Amino acid sequence: MDLDKKLEILAESAKYDASCASSGSDRGGKGTGAAHLGGVCHSWTSDGRCISLLKILMTNECVYDCAYCINRRSNDSAKAILTPDEIAGLTFEFYKRNYIEGLFLSSGIIVSPDHTMELMLQAVRKLRETFRFNGYVHMKVIPGADQSLIDQAGLWADRVSVNIELPTDKSLQLLAPGKTKETVLRPMSRLAQRISASKDERRSIKSAPAFAPAGQSTQLIIGATPETDREIMKLSEALYHKMRLKRVYYSAFVPVMKDSRLPALREPPLLREHRLYQADWLLRFYGFTADELLDEAHPTLDLTFDPKTVWALNNLDKFPLEVNKASYEEILRVPGIGVTSAKRILRARRAWQLKLDDLKKLGVVMKRAVYFVTAGGQYGGIKKETEEAIKIKLLEHKNTNGQLDLFSESELVKEGLTGTVTGQL
Amino acid sequence: MRIFLYDGSFEGFLTALSLGLEGGYACAISKEDKAEAGLFSEFVNAGTDPEKAAAARDLIERRGSAESWQHVRFAFLSEAPGAETAIFEYVKLLAEKGPIADSMLADDRVKKVHGLAASVGGEAHMFKGFVRFKELADKTLYSKIEPDHNILPLVAPHFRARLGEFNWVIHDGRRGKAALYFNRRLIYAPLTAARALELDGKEDEVQALWKHFFKTAAIKERTNPKLQRQNVPLKYRKNLTEFE
Repeated sequence: MDLDKKLEILAESAKYDASCASSGSDRGGKGTGAAHLGGVCHSWTSDGRCISLLKILMTNECVYDCAYCINRRSNDSAKAILTPDEIAGLTFEFYKRNYIEGLFLSSGIIVSPDHTMELMLQAVRKLRETFRFNGYVHMKVIPGADQSLIDQAGLWADRVSVNIELPTDKSLQLLAPGKTKETVLRPMSRLAQRISASKDERRSIKSAPAFAPAGQSTQLIIGATPETDREIMKLSEALYHKMRLKRVYYSAFVPVMKDSRLPALREPPLLREHRLYQADWLLRFYGFTADELLDEAHPTLDLTFDPKTVWALNNLDKFPLEVNKASYEEILRVPGIGVTSAKRILRARRAWQLKLDDLKKLGVVMKRAVYFVTAGGQYGGIKKETEEAIKIKLLEHKNTNGQLDLFSESELVKEGLTGTVTGQL
Repeated sequence: MRIFLYDGSFEGFLTALSLGLEGGYACAISKEDKAEAGLFSEFVNAGTDPEKAAAARDLIERRGSAESWQHVRFAFLSEAPGAETAIFEYVKLLAEKGPIADSMLADDRVKKVHGLAASVGGEAHMFKGFVRFKELADKTLYSKIEPDHNILPLVAPHFRARLGEFNWVIHDGRRGKAALYFNRRLIYAPLTAARALELDGKEDEVQALWKHFFKTAAIKERTNPKLQRQNVPLKYRKNLTEFE
C-alpha cells in the first residue's frame, strides 16, 4: 500500500477525535521546531474545525469492538499501519513547510496495548532523537498499557490523553465491552500524578525533565448514550479538579457505524455539543460550578439561550450590577460580558466613571448586557425586568428566520471561539 | 495646517512625530506619496533624524505605560489609512495624561490605536499558521504571503526560532519585501518578482499528501463552510497550499 493511501485511511480513522490543541508547551532548543505556548492553528477544514497537528492513527486495526468506533474489529474496512519511520518522516516534512505545529498520534490496538504503545513510542522517539524535533507532540495513551510505557509517553510528548468516550460505566459496558471505567481512569490518574510531581520538581530544579508539559486532556462522546448534560458537566468538573485535566473535549456523536445498540440520529447533536462547550468555559474561566448551571430538576442545557444567560435569568435578584463598583468575579457573570471585556471594564473604570455608552466601546455586547447592568446609576433595560420580558427581548435579537446562528451568537463563543472550534487553550 | 512628510520608514515617522510634538500648532503626518494637498496645507519634509526619532521613543516610554511603545510600533505596521494621525493624537494624549492614558479604553484616540495594534498582532499570529513553505531545488524553503498589514518583522523571528537549521525566504508579495534567512542570519530586503521557482523533486509529492490529508480530515456530517470562511478568509487562500 502506498503512503498516500495509508495516510488517507489513518487520517479518516483519527478525525473523530476532537482534540487539536497545540498549546500549553514552550518546548524549544537545538534542532528543528518549537512549541508556541498559546498554540497555533494552521488551517481549517470544510467543517470549520482547525488543523494544528498531523492527526493520525498509527494503525486502524483494533482488537476491541466498540460499537461507536469506526475502527471496531468487526468493521471490515481497509486496514493500514504506518511504521515509526513513516510517521516521523511525514511529520517532519509537513512541519518544515509549516503545514502543522506537530503530531497527534493515536492508534487502534494491535496485538496488545503494550505492543501498540511500544510502536508509538518508537515513532515519537525517532522524531525527537533522530530528527531532533522540538515541535508539539500529542500522544494518546492506550488503556491497559504498562505503567512504564505510560511514563515514557509523558517524557516524549507535550500533551497526553486517554479518552473516556462514554461518561458512565453502564454505557461503557453497553458499547465498549472491552473497556471499563477502571481501565480508563487508571492511566489517567497515573498521568495526573506524574504531571504534578514533575511540575513540583521543576520548580526547584529547572533542568529536571518535563513530564507532559502541556498536561492531559480527554474526550466524551455526546449523544450516543443517555447521560444528561448534568451528569456530563459533573464529570468534567471532577476531571478538572481531581485529575487536573487541561481540557475535556465534547464530540457530537456521528453515527459512522450501524449498530442496534446505538441511537438512530439524523444528524450529530451539534447545538448540544456547543452548549456543553459554553458550560465548560463557564466552569474553567468564569468561576461557575456545575451545580449552579444544572440541577436535578433541570439536568439539560437550554438550547435557546446560552447557559450564562439562563443562569442570569434565574438569578435576577443579583442584577442589575453597577459596573463601576462590582468585582471582577461578579462582572464575569453578566451575559454579554466575556473575560476580555470584564478585564477592560476593570481597567477603564480607573480612568473615569463608566457610562452606558462607554461599555459598548469596551467590547460589551450591549444587546444582552443591557438588562443586567447599570453604569453610574444609568439603566438601559426594560422597566419591568421580569424573566419573561427579558427573554422576549433577547429573542428579538436572534436571527429573524428563527434559526440559531451557531458559533456567532454569543460573546462567550466569540471569546471562546478558539477553544470551542479549534480546541486551543 | 502644516503637514510633515516622511519617507515611509519607522524612523522617518518618529522624526515627523517629534517635529509635530514640538510644533504646538495644528499639524498632521503623512507618508510622502500619500499626501493630499489641501488649500491651506503647508508641506514640510521631516527627513530622518536619529536623534529626533529617539526623542519621540523616549517620550512615549517615559510618559506612557509599559505597553504604549508596542502599541505605537504595531499600529504603525498596520499601514492603515490615517494610522499616522491616530498615533500622533494618541502620543499627544500620553504626553498630557501619562500612563493612565492606556487605561482610557473608551476614549476614541486610545481605542483607535489599541485597535490597530490588536489587528496587526492578530494578523501576525494568524500568519504563524498561514505561512506555507515550498522546498526549492537548492533546499531553500520559500513562502509567499500577502497580508493586509506589514507583519513580516513580527513573523520572521518566529520562524528563526523554529526553522533555524534551514535557509528560508518569506516574501511579502504585496509590499515587495522579504525576510531572508541564510546561514543563520536574518535580513530584510526588497524583493519584487522572484524568478521562476525550481521546486525540489519531492515537493509535489509532499504537497499532494498534505492536500489529501486536509480533505480527509473534514467530517462531512459537520460541513460548515461559513465557519471555515470565518477562520480562513478567502483573501488569504491563494497562498495556502491546501486551497490551491
